[in-house]
Amino acid sequence: MSTTGDSEQHISGAAESAEECADWQALLARIPYARHLGLEVQQGDAGVVVHLPCREALIGNFMLPALHGGVLGALIELTARVAAQSRDTETRCPRILDSHINYLRSAKDRSTFASADIVRQGRRSSLIQVTCWQSERSKPIASGLVQLLLPTMAAQQEDLHEH
Amino acid sequence: MTKPNGVQHSDAMTTAWQFTEKVPHGRDLGMQVVSVDQGQVCMRLTPQSWMFAQEDRKEICTSVLYSLADSAGGLAVFAGALELMPIATLDMRMDYLRPASGHQALLAEATCRHLTDEVAFIHCDILNEGNRELLATANATFMRNTQGQQFNAGGRGKERA
Repeated sequence: MSTTGDSEQHISGAAESAEECADWQALLARIPYARHLGLEVQQGDAGVVVHLPCREALIGNFMLPALHGGVLGALIELTARVAAQSRDTETRCPRILDSHINYLRSAKDRSTFASADIVRQGRRSSLIQVTCWQSERSKPIASGLVQLLLPTMAAQQEDLHEH
Repeated sequence: MTKPNGVQHSDAMTTAWQFTEKVPHGRDLGMQVVSVDQGQVCMRLTPQSWMFAQEDRKEICTSVLYSLADSAGGLAVFAGALELMPIATLDMRMDYLRPASGHQALLAEATCRHLTDEVAFIHCDILNEGNRELLATANATFMRNTQGQQFNAGGRGKERA
């Protein structure tokens, strides 16, 4: 993961990267839908990478065949969520407000990878840019921008009373 | 509301309906087509516990709503054009207005807003089935007549388009 915004943290070194990978894996493991999709975390050359292994249930067009656009949507949204949460000092669980995804190349029936760039990590919201690729990182197949809301202490309290 | 074999249905719309219900990801999530009318479609999904966004609360992951909107949007392109052709999603923007509780089935109502020879503009609302509370909205652009294989609702196509 690289940082393009005003975040203070700077990740470097193999030990920190391994730690970041473990953080991401732990956060993903707590998301039932991420487990259903089979998302897993890998250590990439330039930071943490989320890997989506291909299987038949992810196909959206069996004639091409191609992955479903919603599967790439899930890879992008969940990568953004974990990126925002891992970077939050209180590891608050963010709520996805909106996402805008552009499809750049056809998504073939093979492994897909995603990496996140933090555009801005604020106190209340987080804007994350996610890029997906398959065989070559330089040929992205989809790109998404996800806006997340980090719950305030007041909202968290309210939530506790509701549930 | 029209049924797959109803008299109001053209063959193309019947094929589009059948094709949509055969999509592996749609089957995995349990998506069903409720209706296909000219330029307007409705799809339905019953929440399951593995669709949740967190372990400790009953809230459907936004990405499930995203998949439902993408599928309904694609079907709405065929319903708008009244013909089948290979299509591809160019982009989609989702706004998640409220959390989806997981207590009620989800409905996706997609409309083809405008159609050109090359592009289809789609709007889709995701609602709770019972109280019709609006959960999310989507706007998507689809490319029409992309290179691909011809339609065949029965399985893999053999001929190049």
